Amino acid sequence: MPAATRSGPAAPRLAALPAARRAAARGAPYFVREGIEGFRRNGLASVAAVTITMVTLMALGVALIVASTLDQLAGGVERKLQVVVYLRDGLRSSEVEAARARLSRLPGVTQVDYVSKDDALTVFQQRVGGRVDLREVLSHNPLPASFEVAADRPARLEAIARAAAVLPQVEHASYGAETADRLLAVTRIVRLAGAVASVGLALVAVIIIVNTIRLTVFARRKEIEVMRLVGATAWFIRWPFVVEGAITGAVAGCAALVLVTGLYAWLAWATGGSLPFLPLVSPLQVALHLAWKLLLWGVLIGIGGSLLAVRRFLSL
Amino acid sequence: MEPEGPGPVTPVVFPAAGTDPAAPSAVVAMVEFHRVNKVFPNGVCALREVTLRIEPEEFVFIVGPTGTGKSTLTKMIYREELPSSGHVLVGGRDVTRMPAWQVPFLRRRVGVVFQDFKLLPRKTAWENVAFALEVTGAPGAEIDGRVGEVLEVVGLAARAGAVPGELSAGEQQRVSIARALVHRPPLLVADEPTGNLDPDTSWEIVQLLSQINLRGTTVIVTTHDKTIVDILRKRVVALEGGAVIRDQARGLYAGGH
Repeated sequence: MPAATRSGPAAPRLAALPAARRAAARGAPYFVREGIEGFRRNGLASVAAVTITMVTLMALGVALIVASTLDQLAGGVERKLQVVVYLRDGLRSSEVEAARARLSRLPGVTQVDYVSKDDALTVFQQRVGGRVDLREVLSHNPLPASFEVAADRPARLEAIARAAAVLPQVEHASYGAETADRLLAVTRIVRLAGAVASVGLALVAVIIIVNTIRLTVFARRKEIEVMRLVGATAWFIRWPFVVEGAITGAVAGCAALVLVTGLYAWLAWATGGSLPFLPLVSPLQVALHLAWKLLLWGVLIGIGGSLLAVRRFLSL
Repeated sequence: MEPEGPGPVTPVVFPAAGTDPAAPSAVVAMVEFHRVNKVFPNGVCALREVTLRIEPEEFVFIVGPTGTGKSTLTKMIYREELPSSGHVLVGGRDVTRMPAWQVPFLRRRVGVVFQDFKLLPRKTAWENVAFALEVTGAPGAEIDGRVGEVLEVVGLAARAGAVPGELSAGEQQRVSIARALVHRPPLLVADEPTGNLDPDTSWEIVQLLSQINLRGTTVIVTTHDKTIVDILRKRVVALEGGAVIRDQARGLYAGGH
């Protein structure tokens, strides 16, 4: 019982402590305010960090657009279950009919449609649109006549194409999957190159961000010292830096989105209908598709850089 | 089935008496040094076998010439330094074995005052004091009340809107004392609080610390100001070469009777 009388005013008062989590939640406006202040105060260093992060995200954005365009192209090609058999020029109609008969008898063939040179030009003219009259531009029709050979299932296509290619009347036979495979191979290369470039640039961006955050740590060292002495928790002290990194990444993400989408819109407008085989998506759709990816990666790069800086330059 | 496991860890910095085997006596000392040694990496020996017990509500001067380990000793109380060997107990809790995440909670229970004030130059007196509450996540309504209260205690309520550059050295030290008190700590540690002040101002600051002590706060002051120590006649712990050479109730700076 002696403790009750002697240490009454002192020791028992020292019991309960607030939960650190509540403190962090109440500090949120403070973190954001300090994060913005740090970003603003660093001036040119912040601009440099945003620029390099933006370049990183632009590389990522361009790679994503090219890859998805190629993907769509490959998808469109593959959907047609047919072999196109191009014929040599100058065949007599009897030779054409002989070829048709041979093709019809191949296993798995369900239908054989003849596309004359004129038909081919008409189709092509439609795809190009009315801007250019091909018949005026061209002195002769360069397009070959062809058979569109429909098959009952995809596995037959390769055999049909190979059998068709050996006929004397046939110039060349191709089927969708072959083209699609080539496109997919290109898509893979674009993806890989995009990933390598993005990762390399992201590393540079992280280094620049680490340096920028270090400036803020230095500028705030007196405040940080006081914060430690009056009992701010380590995470309370770190949060403003994390916010500053996230702001850097988000600003870079927005800038990259505007630039990449703008570039895409300009390319789409400049090429117009002259690349009819490209399945062009509207710039707005591209922006929507890219927005969250670029923002997410920007913020991740920014936070990664600030956490590294805090680890190295802030001993708590 | 176990009836009850060890419950979730709560950050109780100063537990009740008798929970720590290193605190055998019935009353929990506010601060207890037990055979504390400190050797810095460069080989300098700052403290030697320091054993010291400070009770709640005491006022203690730690005296000695510069470089005798006074600052190292105070830093160990709020765990800015760790001893090379020995134990430091604050409120019965061994701070040398305290995990790092609990240190901020210890520091909210130990107010610290410095020779160089450590005020933020762009914040007003009021903001400097409020900062200590803000960064520990106190709610806004509580901050307003408490800051006004402690500025009143240190006699600076009228100068609350001034930035440190507009305040005299003595006023700046009052702001830093207000900041140290705003968490209502049971213990106040002042490391050479009068080191930058003229004699009259020094005397005012020490009187303020003495008043704070009379309100129930334990106060530990390091100084090499002979006059102040000799007038106040409080407990004096004298350090020399890192060792306690004298510990005297109602003592003088130079010893004797």
